[in-house]
Amino acid sequence: MSELVTLTIDGREVSVPKGTTILEAAKTIGTEVPHYCYHPGMSSPAMCRLCLVEVEGAPKPMPGCVTAVAEGQVVRTQSEEALGHRRGVLEFYLVNHPLDCPICDMSGECNLQDYVHAEGREHGRGREPKRVFGRDDFGGDVLFYGDRCVMCTRCVRFMSEVEQDHRLTVVERGNRSVIDTFFEEGLDGTHWHGNIVDICPVGALVSKDFLHKARAWDLTHTPSICASCSQGCNVSLHTRDNLVQRIKPRENLDVNGWWMCDHGRHDYEWMNQGDRLEAPLVRDGGTSRAVGWKDALRVLLDNAEAAGTAGVKAVASARSSNEDLAALAALVDTLGGGDIVYRSPRADEEIPLKGFPGLARRRDLSPNARGAELVGATRVGGDDATGGLESVASHRGIVLVLGDALADQPDTFGQDAALYVFMGTHDSPAARHADVVLPVATHAEAEGTFTNHQGRVQRFEPALHAPGMTRPAWLILGALVAERGGGSVARTAAEAFAALAGRVPAFSGMDYDAVGSRGAVINESVSLTGD
Amino acid sequence: MAINVKVMHRPPPETTSYLRAALSGMALTFKHMVNPTKVTQQYPEEQTDLSPRWRGTHVMEQHADGRPKCVACGLCPTVCPANCIRLVGGEDDQGNRYPIVYEIDEFRCIFCGMCQEVCPVEAIHVGRHFENAEYTRDRFVYDLDRLMEQDHPSTLLWDPSDPRSE
Ligand code: SF4
Ligand code: SF4
Ligand code: SF4
Ligand code: SF4
Repeated sequence: MSELVTLTIDGREVSVPKGTTILEAAKTIGTEVPHYCYHPGMSSPAMCRLCLVEVEGAPKPMPGCVTAVAEGQVVRTQSEEALGHRRGVLEFYLVNHPLDCPICDMSGECNLQDYVHAEGREHGRGREPKRVFGRDDFGGDVLFYGDRCVMCTRCVRFMSEVEQDHRLTVVERGNRSVIDTFFEEGLDGTHWHGNIVDICPVGALVSKDFLHKARAWDLTHTPSICASCSQGCNVSLHTRDNLVQRIKPRENLDVNGWWMCDHGRHDYEWMNQGDRLEAPLVRDGGTSRAVGWKDALRVLLDNAEAAGTAGVKAVASARSSNEDLAALAALVDTLGGGDIVYRSPRADEEIPLKGFPGLARRRDLSPNARGAELVGATRVGGDDATGGLESVASHRGIVLVLGDALADQPDTFGQDAALYVFMGTHDSPAARHADVVLPVATHAEAEGTFTNHQGRVQRFEPALHAPGMTRPAWLILGALVAERGGGSVARTAAEAFAALAGRVPAFSGMDYDAVGSRGAVINESVSLTGD
Repeated sequence: MAINVKVMHRPPPETTSYLRAALSGMALTFKHMVNPTKVTQQYPEEQTDLSPRWRGTHVMEQHADGRPKCVACGLCPTVCPANCIRLVGGEDDQGNRYPIVYEIDEFRCIFCGMCQEVCPVEAIHVGRHFENAEYTRDRFVYDLDRLMEQDHPSTLLWDPSDPRSE
């Protein structure tokens, strides 16, 4: 434990580790000192001059982001003097600022709006014309509105310190200074540049993908986990009108810090995709019939009864939650035992974020390959997630498919099976011979957990309403297991997690509440093949 | 405390005559026949003079080249207490933010005028107009073209000579 320093901020006594800055110390008592250039994930140049606070005994106002706390220091962040300094600095920021909030995508979550509203002058006094830069395309997903920039250089420092690919710089001097790219390549070809849009405190850097799409205050934020690789970055799904509008990273220092990669950030269209399976279907020869859940499960269990003893072969997906996979494994056992396989795409190489060790876009492009391994599934097929299902396709016993769309499989898949159950989000040609088709929720519509490549179990919450009669897979499978094998049905995600913990040793003793919003590490180290 | 009750004593009906009252009523009627002051308004030939602050169905202001003034800032759908404005923003071919979809359901609107008050570019206005008859209900959902076609005058929510009265 490092040495503690005790000081007084705004009349309250605070003890923080030695070396903490005043700005961070103030955060611990819930006071945010306005700032632009400071970001906890990067160096502090102390150049925006906005975090000025009054320190007793100091001859002039001190920048809170670089002034370390000292024993017995008395700091005032809200005194007339401190507020006066910051009001003056804010007025300078507005000298050339266009204040085009009505057409600015940052409006509603903008630090300039917030700070000026809280601490700025009521009316501007500027009479001079404002300088105009216009808009520039920085390549990648980024547009730059030069007039709105407050010259905090967070974007420049992100590219040079965190991504470590010097693509941005400040050109010119004084009030003509502006952020620019080198040559024409801009940000094209970098994999983490979406983060500069997040850290830009104003609307100077905006996402082309999100441009004019929704207002910040209309979006509902739901904590979730990125499903684009096995890193398991903590994210927020921002939704409006039951559609995901954008994905933003959520701070978790153990996994992704403040960052996420561009692949994950833009991988949300599939969550909004329509044309879903909305009701359970029972197929009879060439015809399918939409039925209620009770009937569908009844038909499934009756057919399973008659299926004989050839055993079960199941295809799972590494995009399903731990709860789904454990419930599938439980059903396989109840129906007489068999194997579970899964397929998962794999990229050629890892894309690390150099300035944040431990964060990379992993080769494994599914969020829960480790969870699948832990419940006993075996990986099959190639790096493009095709093939490997020959023995399942021609199996004569029971075939269960959960979450794998079987896009590469012919429509003869499962034609010899005594019972073929297809559980998915969309109908598939390979589901033609399925006796029962069940609509399941995507991870954006259900609650559950993923296990990332380090063995960290992390929760996600439902951001969208699932269409029609769709249900989470753990609920459906849990009901089947209870009906056939006895026991109670897991009705909540917490109960489904408890069922998982009771079944899979790596999760034993873990508690859904304790996993919380930050995640928890499994109690067994299992290495993932090929990672 | 006892309540003071005043008992009215009416003369018995067979001894009362209503003739005098009837005649005075008729006198008033005949007086109006020859009085030149008219109070009946001949609507619709004659139009009512609406107050400058009358709030009726909306008008969308436009630029000289026919583009709507709205910049799709999203404030009016946010402020609208009746939740009757639907807006989808986008970018036009000159790079300006504009409303791809802008609809007001005039049946749900409560004519509070807050959309006009909040608009940063003075695009949407409530109007001095009250004659709204249609053959179908869905005609009361005004889309952007319809809002721009409206040619009735806009409401003045405040005194234009004193901008701070806003
Ligand atoms: S950056 Fe902030 S203050 Fe500037 S126009 Fe955008 S929302 Fe308004
Ligand atoms: S573009 Fe944004 S992040 Fe970059 S210097 Fe300007 S205000 Fe800061
Ligand atoms: S007048 Fe009021 S209720 Fe009608 S659209 Fe405007 S804000 Fe909504
Ligand atoms: S407030 Fe004005 S500019 Fe904003 S969306 Fe409404 S009409 Fe358009």
